[in-house]
Amino acid sequence: MELIRLDQVSLWRRTQEEFSYDLKKTMLSILEGKYHQPTKKLVLDKIDLVVEKGEKIGIIGANGSGKSTLLKIISGILQPTSGTVRVRGQIAPLIELGAGFDAEISVMDNILLYGVLLGFSRYEMKQRAQSILEFAELEDYALVPVKGLSSGMVARLGFSIATDVQPDILILDEVLSVGDESFKNKCKQRIHKFWDDSATVLVVSHDLSFVQQSCNLVMWLDKGQVKFVGEAGKAVSYYLNLV
Amino acid sequence: MAFVVKNNFNWLEVVRYWELLQVLVARNIKVRYRGSFLGVYWSLLNPLIMTGLYTAIFGATFASYYNNSILNYVLAAFTGLVVINFFSASTSQALSSVVGNGSLVNKIRLPVSIFPVSMIAANIFQFSVGTLPLLAIMTFINSRSLVNVLCLVFPLLALFLVSTGVGFLVSSLYVFFRDLPYFYELVVFVLWLSSPIFYPAAIVPKSVKPFLALNPLSPIVESIRQITLSGSLPSLDLVWGSLLGGIIILLLGWTCFKLWRPQFMDLL
Repeated sequence: MELIRLDQVSLWRRTQEEFSYDLKKTMLSILEGKYHQPTKKLVLDKIDLVVEKGEKIGIIGANGSGKSTLLKIISGILQPTSGTVRVRGQIAPLIELGAGFDAEISVMDNILLYGVLLGFSRYEMKQRAQSILEFAELEDYALVPVKGLSSGMVARLGFSIATDVQPDILILDEVLSVGDESFKNKCKQRIHKFWDDSATVLVVSHDLSFVQQSCNLVMWLDKGQVKFVGEAGKAVSYYLNLV
Repeated sequence: MAFVVKNNFNWLEVVRYWELLQVLVARNIKVRYRGSFLGVYWSLLNPLIMTGLYTAIFGATFASYYNNSILNYVLAAFTGLVVINFFSASTSQALSSVVGNGSLVNKIRLPVSIFPVSMIAANIFQFSVGTLPLLAIMTFINSRSLVNVLCLVFPLLALFLVSTGVGFLVSSLYVFFRDLPYFYELVVFVLWLSSPIFYPAAIVPKSVKPFLALNPLSPIVESIRQITLSGSLPSLDLVWGSLLGGIIILLLGWTCFKLWRPQFMDLL
């Protein structure tokens, strides 16, 4: 079954230098007649991608080549300027864990908050709270505000919430290891469980040997264009030859 | 069949929006009142102190416009302050809500409008627990009629609509112009002085009055005062006037928000 389909997806974004975050300056430049439309840059150029259920896709490329942007398009965070995106199934974004936490409220409240932000229902989260706390080894901290946790604990909590349920599509953006050694192993096991099951995984990584081992299809992006799509070994060696 | 599927999809979006609203409002309120002794009732302190201050300074002078009763002046000042306080607090908080959650909307797909809406909703909750009972008791004592108490809902609804509309507008403008808070402070101050809060509307010169009528908060303040203080049945004209203003501002704010929404992501 086809889960993700991108057809000729292009994205133009405003360039960072053009940010004029100032009402005063903008009004002055309009009065002086110097105002001009912000310039835009092509970030993704006519990307085609079809992902079948159970496929593990790796995306490689230099910094700024549009890898994370592509993941954002697939997650529905960004809308393409042209082209179509079709996604079937629930996506779990595992991008920078803990972004949705509020340091002032308790761990328990944060489990509800973060879970609902990720798209689960409150009822579901209440039922799963215990298993999440257990996995994160934070049972004793349920009522402590998150600002009272160490950064490792926060990362553990984020990982546990995002991965408590098997998503249809898992998106990994350079986050595979959090916390101390023993927790890292638990993370790896859980990720491996996803890998073994029929989950569909999209992973952005600079760890080429990891990508080569664990993905069956690799896409190489360069300046927003697809340089190569195909079998993992070939893609990685082709990439290494040209860099 | 296709129709059913589509319907179902929309329903899910509504449920998700509602769930998000619940957790975000709960978060706002918990953060605000964690460990504070009087909780929500702190929000009453500001209008009460201001009312006292205004009464001490202007009460004696303006009492003649209020049937020579200082008590009437106190009540008029209080109702006005309650309205402007709600407006300025909720919209200022909504202003920074989209930008403040910028890193979040870059990581998880969320309906961005939830952030200003949740700020307004948290303030509505706080208002309903803190100020509303007081207002309802005042109304009942003055009018001795439950109709008046129930009709308070309409001008308050208008206030919530105006605040939500302005909240949409300023929160989206703030994405583009990060120096907006300074200008917005000025705007709130102008609205504050131009709505008859601590002075009687009668002292305003005739030539200036039409400009004051542009202030969407004036009909709301007037309607609340008429219902709370006059002792007569609610005037439907005032109620309609305030509701109409509220709907127009909400539509305006929502349209701007929708229109500018596609550009947000490049700037957050």
